Amino acid sequence: MNHYWTRVRFPPPPYKMLLFMRNKLIFLILCILFSSCLLSLSINIRSFDHQDFTRLVFEGDNSFGFKINNFNNSIDIEINKIANLKNRITRIDDSKLVDRVVHSTKDNKSTLTLYFKSKFKIKRNFVLEKPFRVVFDIVKSEESDRDLEPSENKSSKQEPKESNIKDEPLKNNKPPKKKVIETICIDPGHGGSDLGAVGRSKLMEKDIALKVSRKLKKLIESKLGLRVITTRDKDVEVSLDSRAAMANNQKAQVFVSIHVNSSFRESARGPETYYVSLKATDQEAFNLAEKENSSLGEAFETAENDDLKMILWNMAQTEYIKESSKLASFIQSELNILMYTKNRGVKQAPFRVLMRAGMPAVLIEIAFISNFYEEKSLMDESFLDRVANAIYTGISKFIYFYNNT
Amino acid sequence: MSKKKIYFLVGIAFAFSIFVLIIFFKSSCYSGKKELEPAKEEAQEEVEKIEPIKVKMFFFKKDSRYMKPFQCEIRYFRIRQDVYKTFINKLLKGREGCVTPIPEGLELRSLFYVRKKKILVIDFNEALLNKFPGGTSSELEFIYYFVDNICYNFKEIEEVKFLISGNEYKTISGHIDIENPFYPDYRYLRDE
Repeated sequence: MNHYWTRVRFPPPPYKMLLFMRNKLIFLILCILFSSCLLSLSINIRSFDHQDFTRLVFEGDNSFGFKINNFNNSIDIEINKIANLKNRITRIDDSKLVDRVVHSTKDNKSTLTLYFKSKFKIKRNFVLEKPFRVVFDIVKSEESDRDLEPSENKSSKQEPKESNIKDEPLKNNKPPKKKVIETICIDPGHGGSDLGAVGRSKLMEKDIALKVSRKLKKLIESKLGLRVITTRDKDVEVSLDSRAAMANNQKAQVFVSIHVNSSFRESARGPETYYVSLKATDQEAFNLAEKENSSLGEAFETAENDDLKMILWNMAQTEYIKESSKLASFIQSELNILMYTKNRGVKQAPFRVLMRAGMPAVLIEIAFISNFYEEKSLMDESFLDRVANAIYTGISKFIYFYNNT
Repeated sequence: MSKKKIYFLVGIAFAFSIFVLIIFFKSSCYSGKKELEPAKEEAQEEVEKIEPIKVKMFFFKKDSRYMKPFQCEIRYFRIRQDVYKTFINKLLKGREGCVTPIPEGLELRSLFYVRKKKILVIDFNEALLNKFPGGTSSELEFIYYFVDNICYNFKEIEEVKFLISGNEYKTISGHIDIENPFYPDYRYLRDE
């Protein structure tokens, strides 16, 4: 055996002592470094002026507990750790409302004092995780000016305010302009070299989708007199993203994508209607929509990050989820009647073509081309007529519902 | 004290400090090598040690649109990636009497786990594009067959992302967006 340690000579005792002391020292230094890392908290401050409010964000590298004290001219945020800020006084020059943030430390606690350029009111404040952020939405307050004035003046000032409120309905006497559906976009799935699903008899999804779309277009135009645009009217390949873009550019108010289904399970049958799901598939986008970017329009203007833009672009459909679900249920119930299927319910999935549509949007799977019996039905022209008619009825019910609510 | 003596003492101090430094340097080399050898042996032991672990795998029955559970065993290598690989290969193999929602010739190329985001990235070969039968249901069956099974059995994985031949694709066959990772959708599972 020629192990390494058989060849090593152990050093004399003083050397061992030095070795022991060195290890102790290194351990001590590491402990100090580790504890200082744990205790210290660096905070990054940023602000942005929105149209109605100013957003102030305190981003910490760790989470921290805090307490807010609201004063007349300032807000104190007491943090339960010692915070590291670049400067003791951080001037917020690009804000119309916030003047500066002053950092002070006492008894292992830090206090951030926010000073404002004019009277203010906290509209809302909330906490976001990953990274840990404390967010304040602050608005300019005229009411707080009045609060500071003597009480005698208060009553005299409040009277005209009441009369203003009474006058408001008179001024806005005209009812708000009603949104009425005028344009519908029909999207025949696949096309060109993209065949879609193919049946045993070589029946192709792209052909069925185009046939049904043409029939549906005729029905809507003739019976409802609405403008109908289609993403393709012949056998050509159109990318998924440009299909939604077409509908958005043409200002369509309803988007209906026609497809034929296929499954690994041969027994699968029946029509299905889908609308987009964001919650189950894109948690980040969903959270973002729920929390930080409560106003999509503002976020569009301010987003500099490509990723953020992409997330928002993916969320074009978020605003219309409720309407899409309603549209899907109207169509699905008509198809269920036609095909004698039990209501399997409307389904949700992250469809690429629906995500980017800025209007109520659904995807209809007429029948399963992978099912022997349904493939036969899909070859029958009269069956396709009845399918188009059922989808038309569903859409017209939705239009009635949409225009009257 | 004469200048010569001072120079002599400074010289001795300098020589002593160099001596101390050499001892320190030598000791670090020595202790490092000593620790290295047994560590290697331990690592080898860990890789070779195989324990079968029980997992609950879900498969589609022919007459149902839900996946039903089956108790299975996989060999547990101490390397995390190997466990995932074994598990996914078992899913690719399927189960007799059940429907395996994968296209012909589909193989796992590689996988990696993004610990920070708790995402498992699975890279399949081109068969996923070329041999896929198409249809929304097929895509959903394929996606959630993997996502639900993986996330159900490995709690450290929250999302699963699919790559095809090492590249990101928008969809598999024109329906479901696969650019984003997927959270599990346990509505596809039926525990009986």
